[in-house]
Amino acid sequence: MAFLIRTIDFTAAGREIVRDRVAEQASLTVGRAAECDIHLPDLAVEQQHVRITTAADGTLAVEALGTLGFALDGRVVMDGVIDPRTGGEIALGAARLAVAREADGRTIITIRQIATDEGKGDTLRGFALASALPSKRAMSWVLAGAILLLLLLVPVASHLTRTPAKPDPTGKTPGTVLLDSAWTSGELSLKHHDLEDNCESCHVAAFESVQDETCISCHKDTGDHAPMGRLAKGSPALSPGDALQWRIAQGFGKEGPLGCVSCHSEHEGPKRQQAGGEAFCSDCHNTLDTRLTDTALANAHDFGKGHPQFRPAYYASFGAAKPVRAAPGAKPVERSGLVFPHDVHMDARGGAARMAVSLGQYGKPLECKDCHSLNADKIGFKEVRMEDSCEACHSLVSGRGVGGFTKLRHGDVKDLAEDLARISSGPRASAGPARQRPGQIGSGAPAYRADFGRPVRAYIGLSNALSAGGVCTECHLPTRGPTGQADLMPVNLPDRFLTSGYFNHEAHKKEKCTDCHAADTSKAAADLLIPDLKSCRECHLGATAVKTKKIVPSDCAMCHAYHLPAGQWTGLGSPKGPAPHYKPPPPAKTTVAAIAAKTKP
Amino acid sequence: MATSAKGPANTRFRQDEKRRDSDHVSFLKHRGFRWLWIALALSAASIAGYVLIDQEPRPNGGTWYGYTLGTIGLGLILWLSLLGVRKRRINPGAWSLKAWTSAHVYLGLSLIVVGTLHTGFQIGWNVHTLAYVLMLLVIATGIYGVIVYATLPASLSANRKEMTRAQMLDALTAIDRQLESAAQPLGRAEADLVIAALGQDVFHGGAWGRLTGSYPRCATTRALNGMGGHSDETARVAALLAKRREQLAQIRGALRIRALLEVWLFIHIPLTIALIAALAAHVISVFYYW
Repeated sequence: MAFLIRTIDFTAAGREIVRDRVAEQASLTVGRAAECDIHLPDLAVEQQHVRITTAADGTLAVEALGTLGFALDGRVVMDGVIDPRTGGEIALGAARLAVAREADGRTIITIRQIATDEGKGDTLRGFALASALPSKRAMSWVLAGAILLLLLLVPVASHLTRTPAKPDPTGKTPGTVLLDSAWTSGELSLKHHDLEDNCESCHVAAFESVQDETCISCHKDTGDHAPMGRLAKGSPALSPGDALQWRIAQGFGKEGPLGCVSCHSEHEGPKRQQAGGEAFCSDCHNTLDTRLTDTALANAHDFGKGHPQFRPAYYASFGAAKPVRAAPGAKPVERSGLVFPHDVHMDARGGAARMAVSLGQYGKPLECKDCHSLNADKIGFKEVRMEDSCEACHSLVSGRGVGGFTKLRHGDVKDLAEDLARISSGPRASAGPARQRPGQIGSGAPAYRADFGRPVRAYIGLSNALSAGGVCTECHLPTRGPTGQADLMPVNLPDRFLTSGYFNHEAHKKEKCTDCHAADTSKAAADLLIPDLKSCRECHLGATAVKTKKIVPSDCAMCHAYHLPAGQWTGLGSPKGPAPHYKPPPPAKTTVAAIAAKTKP
Repeated sequence: MATSAKGPANTRFRQDEKRRDSDHVSFLKHRGFRWLWIALALSAASIAGYVLIDQEPRPNGGTWYGYTLGTIGLGLILWLSLLGVRKRRINPGAWSLKAWTSAHVYLGLSLIVVGTLHTGFQIGWNVHTLAYVLMLLVIATGIYGVIVYATLPASLSANRKEMTRAQMLDALTAIDRQLESAAQPLGRAEADLVIAALGQDVFHGGAWGRLTGSYPRCATTRALNGMGGHSDETARVAALLAKRREQLAQIRGALRIRALLEVWLFIHIPLTIALIAALAAHVISVFYYW
C-alpha cells in the first residue's frame, strides 16, 4: 500500500511549488511533530494529531490521536472514514489534506495551505434574509413617502392653490382638489350624493368645520325650527359632559349644538337623514313651558301619554279675514258661509242619493270622494268646486239659448246680476216657428204648452235669487252688502285644518272616512268635522308603545317636521323609504333663476 | 468604601436575583403576564365604552368616544414603534427591554380592539381604512413574529447538526475543492456543468427560494442530473455533487428557517413606518376637511 503525498506551497512571489513523495506504508501519522509522516508546522495542530490507516476494503480510516478533533469535509469529528474513490478532505489548522485515488490505485494526499478568514464574515452575512431583500429602511422610506405624497401633500397643495369654485347645489361641478376623494370617511347621504366629487362645496376652508352658512347657501328655503334665541332658551341645559364636549368643539370652531351638522351628520353612507326620535323632541318639549314661559305651545312628550288636544284652524265668524285655531278641547262652530248638511248628502236612502243614482255622472248614492279629492301631497284635499261637485244636482240652468242651455255663472254676484239681467231683457223664445193654424196644436215642435208655462227664470230678479228661498240660498247664506244691497256670505274654508302636523290620508285609506270624520251624522255646515286626539289614539300611541295589530307606535316625526316650513318626515325606520308624502310647493322661480334675477341691477 | 458587610452583599444578591429573573423568564410571561392583563383591561374597557355609550347617530371615529379611542390608538402606535429606538439604546436606567417588549406585544394586540372600535366598523376605499389595514397587517406580522420566535429556533439548531454557519460554508468549500480536482478528467459538457455548479452563489435563489425552500435553477442538481457515463471519474464527480447537494440542502434549510424567522420584520417595520405616514395623513385630512 502506498501513499503519494503531494505538498503544494507558494513562494513569496506567488509561484507554486509542488513536491511529491511516496510513502510505502499502510498508515500515516499527521502532526506537528517532526517524526510524523506528514509534518504540519502549525501551532493549531497537535504533535500527533491524526492517523490515516488503509483498511482491507481500500477505504481509509482517519482517527484523532489526541483529544482534539479534526474537520472531515468541513465537519468536526474525532474519527471518520474516507472512500478514496469519492475522496475527502481533512482540515488540520490551515492545512487541507485532500485525499483521492490515483488511476494507478495509489492514494494521493494533496496538502495545501489556505489563507484563513478570507472574507468569511461577509459570506456569513449571506445567511441573513436581509441579503436577499431590499433594506427595511428603503422600503419604509418608499412606502411612507408615497403615502404622504399621494394622500396628504397632493390634496393639500391642490386645495391651497385652487381657484375656489362656486357652490353648486346640482352637484354637476366636480371638485378641483386632487385626490381628496381618498379623504372621504364614507359615502354621502342620498340627498347629497351628487356632491360626492366636490368636497370643497361643503368643506370650504382648511381646518374649519362645515359651517351653517355653507348649508344655507343651498338650503335657502329651509326654515328654522324657531328663532335661534328661542331655540337656545327652550333647550334644556346640557349635561356637564356634553357641555364640556361642546366647549371643546366650539373652541375648535365647530358651531354649537344648534348648528346644522350637529343633527345632519354626513358621510354615514347612502342613506336618508333619519328623523329625530321621540326623545329628541321631548328633550325640549316635555317641559318647554318652564324655560320658554311665554310659549303658546303646550308641553308634549309622548303621543299616547302627553300630547295636547288638536287645535284645528277654522273660521270662527262669517267673512273673517283669517282662520283662528280652536281652543284646546273646545267644540268649534265653523262659520264657513255655506249651507251644507253632510247627513242629507250622505244618507244612502235619501233624496240626494236617489238623485245621484239617476244621474249618469254618479250612478249610485253619493260618496265622500265624489266631492273631496286628495291633493298630490296626500295630506290635504282639493277645493270643492261648485261646477264639478254640486252643479249636477244644484243646477243653475237659466234657459235655452242659441247654442243650448244657458246658465247662471257661479262665483261672483256681479256675474249673476249680469246673467239675470240678460235673461230678463233678452228675446223670448218664440212659441213656434211661425203663426200656427188651428188644429196644429200639439202636432209640431216646439211644444205648444211651453207657451203657457210660468216664466219663472226669465222673471226672477236678483233679489229673489239672493234672498231666502232663492236659488243661491240653497247653499249660501244671504246677507246685505255695505250699501244694503242683497249679497251672499263669502265662503271661507282653510286649506288645511291641522296646520302644524301632517296627516297622510293615503296611509289611512283602509279606514272609512266616517270612521274619523262624523260626516254622516252632521246636520249643519257649522260642525267642524276634524277628529280629536282620542280618535287618533285608538291606533296611535307613543314611540314606546308595544306594536300590535292595532296599535302603531308613533313618534313625533310621524306627523311633525322639525324645520318649518318643511315636509313630513318619510321613510321612518327604513333607510330608503317611500317617496315623500308631502313636498312644499315649489318656489316661483328655480334657485338658479332667482340668483340670476337678483344679480341683475 | 467602608460600609457594613451586610449591605453591599444584600444589594448584590437582590441585583443578581433580579437579573436571574430577567434572564430566564420569557418576555411573554414577564412579571406574571402584567402587560397581558393591562392590555385585556384596556380592550375590555374600550368594548364596554363602545357598547354602553350611546353615540348619535351611530358610532364612528368622529364622536367624542371615537376621538378618545383614536387618540389612545395613535399614542399606542407611536409608543409601540419606539421599541426600535429603545432596543438600540443600551444604557442603564429603570427601563427593562423585556418589559418593553412584553408591553409591545400585548398592547399591540389590544390595538386590534381599540382600532377596530375607532373605525365604528365603517370601512371604505380611503386613507382612514388604509391606516386601519396597515395597522392590522403590522399586528398580524407581529403575531407571526412572536410565534416563529417561539417555535423556529429549536428547528434551527436541529438543522445545524452541531455545525456553525461558517462550518457549513467550509464544508461546501472542502467539497468544492475536491470537485475541482475530481472533475479534471471530464469532457467539456460535464466540466461545464461542474463549473456552473461551482460558480453558482451559495445563496442563489432570492427571498422566495429561501422562504419556500424551492430552488428550481440549482446548478448542482442540474450538474448531478447531467452527469452521464459510468466511468470511475464521472461516478466520483457525481458522488461529490451529491455530497455538495446535501451540504447545500443543509445550508438552505438554515436559510429557510432564518428567512421564516426574519421575514416578518421586513413587513412589520416598513409597514409600521407606512402606518405612521398614513396616520399623519389620516389625522391631518380629518381636521383639514373637518
